[in-house]
Amino acid sequence: MAPPSEDTLTKVSTDAACEFVQSFYPALENNRSTIGSFYSQPPSMILFNGNAVADGAAVQEIFVNQMSPTHYEVQSFDCQIINRAYPTPTSTGVKLPTETTLKDMSILVIVSGYVRFGESRDLPQRGFSETFVLVPNPTADGPKGKRKREWLIQTQNFRLVV
Amino acid sequence: MKNGKGSRGRSGASDRGGIRKRGATARVDREGDLMMDAGSTRNRGKKARGDSGRSSGAGRTQAANKAMDAIQKAISSNTDSQANIRQGGRGSGLEQVIVRGWKQSKAASNRDGGLESLIAFLEKKLSSPDSKAGTRARITKSRVEGDALIVSIRPELLDRMLQINGFSFAGAPLTTEKYDRSMSGMLDQPMLSGVAQNGSSSSAAETKAKMTTILGRRYTQQTKLLDLSKLGTDPDLLSMGIFGSTSTESKFFPALMKVWELNFDNATARREAVESVSLAHNQLANITAVTTLAQTIPDLKNLDLSNNDFKDAQSLIGWRWKFRNLEFLDLSNTPFSADPTFKDTMLKWYPKLRFLNNVEVRTAEELAAQKKTPIPVQAPYFQDEGQIAENFVRAFFAGYDNDRSDLLSGVYDNHSTFTLNVNTSAPRAQQTEPAPWDPYIKKSRNLLKISHLPARMSRTYTGVEKIRDLWTSLPATRHPDIAAHPEEWLIECYPIPGLPDASGQSTTGVGGLLIMVHGKFDEINGTKVETRSFDRTFILGPGGGMGGIRVISDILCLRAYGGHEAWAPEGLPAVPQAAPPVAPQAAPQTVAVPGAPEGYGMPAPGKADTQVQQEQLVLQMSSTTRMTLQYSEMALSGNGWNMEAALKNFGELKAQGTLPPEAFLPAV
Repeated sequence: MAPPSEDTLTKVSTDAACEFVQSFYPALENNRSTIGSFYSQPPSMILFNGNAVADGAAVQEIFVNQMSPTHYEVQSFDCQIINRAYPTPTSTGVKLPTETTLKDMSILVIVSGYVRFGESRDLPQRGFSETFVLVPNPTADGPKGKRKREWLIQTQNFRLVV
Repeated sequence: MKNGKGSRGRSGASDRGGIRKRGATARVDREGDLMMDAGSTRNRGKKARGDSGRSSGAGRTQAANKAMDAIQKAISSNTDSQANIRQGGRGSGLEQVIVRGWKQSKAASNRDGGLESLIAFLEKKLSSPDSKAGTRARITKSRVEGDALIVSIRPELLDRMLQINGFSFAGAPLTTEKYDRSMSGMLDQPMLSGVAQNGSSSSAAETKAKMTTILGRRYTQQTKLLDLSKLGTDPDLLSMGIFGSTSTESKFFPALMKVWELNFDNATARREAVESVSLAHNQLANITAVTTLAQTIPDLKNLDLSNNDFKDAQSLIGWRWKFRNLEFLDLSNTPFSADPTFKDTMLKWYPKLRFLNNVEVRTAEELAAQKKTPIPVQAPYFQDEGQIAENFVRAFFAGYDNDRSDLLSGVYDNHSTFTLNVNTSAPRAQQTEPAPWDPYIKKSRNLLKISHLPARMSRTYTGVEKIRDLWTSLPATRHPDIAAHPEEWLIECYPIPGLPDASGQSTTGVGGLLIMVHGKFDEINGTKVETRSFDRTFILGPGGGMGGIRVISDILCLRAYGGHEAWAPEGLPAVPQAAPPVAPQAAPQTVAVPGAPEGYGMPAPGKADTQVQQEQLVLQMSSTTRMTLQYSEMALSGNGWNMEAALKNFGELKAQGTLPPEAFLPAV
């Protein structure tokens, strides 16, 4: 099989980043019971302002039970392909480079925007910067009829910067 | 004082030089007072002649009026913005149109006064309905003068622009009219001849000198107070004939602010000179006459507006998004303070407000609680491997500032990828307008805006040569020294798996480091220095570069300067206006002080946290004062480990000359 062309790779990676950004931040805002489903198992590292969080379930728990209504505004984001032959886990181990498909890539995503903690529009807008590494969801092409996320968070680092 | 180019957004905030030209067209503010109109300006010359022989008071008024015009002119003619606007207007054959009415729109209470949405609105209306997407009409330049927005457009858009006259923008009708240069030329004439004939240039210098004296008399350096109260009864101002006519009055305050600005070499000195301003007892019904205060002294903490005639919030609306650091506001004895919504409105407008009409409205704790985020801000997470990340970051930013080509050859290879994206609307630390993004915007790969695949591809730079070409075209930068200014940096790092193996040996991916850096840099453009903030994430993997590493990914986000307070860890004793007491954990800190033992200021097994903190304080003290570690430690322990007290103590001892030479580090 010929290696995929650059434009195909760019399309897959940027589509993945767009889809992720456009679904993850709305989920943090008003679909918090789905937050856990954005994370890989086990994730490599999750940080919020320097606080390490164990996994996606713990992030979801924090947002569901402890966070005030929060408004995120993504103002800029970008992505890069990290590994074009990402060793996606399989039931028997990991995919070898010869077994990988177009979508077995890992993607670096950086997001810049502001967040408002609380409902009032007059509360201050705090600038944030957030870095993610997205990896393929090994069970994305699982049983039919059940659409799953194609990309999951391998690692995440959120920081207030303004 | 150096004004920026007259590009959109900047002009309104800082380039207020052209007050004189404001007279070009008739304008009256909502209350109908204090604003001069075209009639009075145009008649001025005649009136002066016709009235000659009248009371000397009127004559003085005219003279003062002229003098202030001349001050404005002298000052504004030196600014870049004026020159550029004029050249731009003529040289490129653009037409200028005056847009009014937007100050009454709902959008006027936006943070930027509604400018961005107004310009977007105009551009939309200017775009012909049958034009293809992407050929949208552009307003290439704009500036604000009072309540007028003056936009530059291509001549073919002029008709369409004038048709916008009467359109409704955010609930208010707009007016558009052609900016008539001959009109301003005509207005120039009496003044120029006035300067020539009556020698009023010397009178301008005289007025300026008088204003400087008045300002000096009304400024107290110790308390950083500029007392502009009771201006109407100031004998010096009265003798200058300032309050003889509304036209002089309207020009007086902006001229006074200009003269104030001229006292300072740079914006920082100007910002730091004043914390408090009083405008009490000035019969102000609104802030129109004094609105320039917000541009000249944006970082005010205390503002006394008591004993004026402000009726309601609307009379202060122009300062809705100004003075973001205001802690004390006095509106006692104004009709507005009797309004039932008064307190709530002011609390809402000014997030840091603590005292209103001399009553505490927010406690320090409430303020702190408000600032506190639901997720507490902790020190940076920094899990390095063999100081790889530490060495990389230190070398990277020095290299990026000094020799980008060398840096690329050292740690980038033909698979390294670099992209940059610009967040043009990021929150800012100060009320200053960010520098224009021209040098970067055509390379920006903000995926929110760059949606076409070819553009996404062409804005990805892979391989040393492509990155080199790009980096060579980007402006020169200067990042602050990490060791000397650790508080200005936030550096986090940890290992990640699953990276591509450059050697091709591993089939399951290799491990590497994810490094996230937040900070600021100065951009040097000729004589201009602009400060910007950035977020930059690197992925390092094993490779053939220096130190056995290679950069796999380098992704840069640029945004307006946002300060570094956001990442100062919470829960530590607050030291006002000082660096966070405990320096970020990033190890480069240790190189600040020659002779510091290895591991000093760093956590280590069996080492108590308090010791680490104390060592970090000592390092910080030493890097601030250039005293040795031993003396820095003595200064701190002698002051109960309070950095502020120790620094104060140091300042006193240094002033007395009682510190021995061996207290200081050898000069570099």
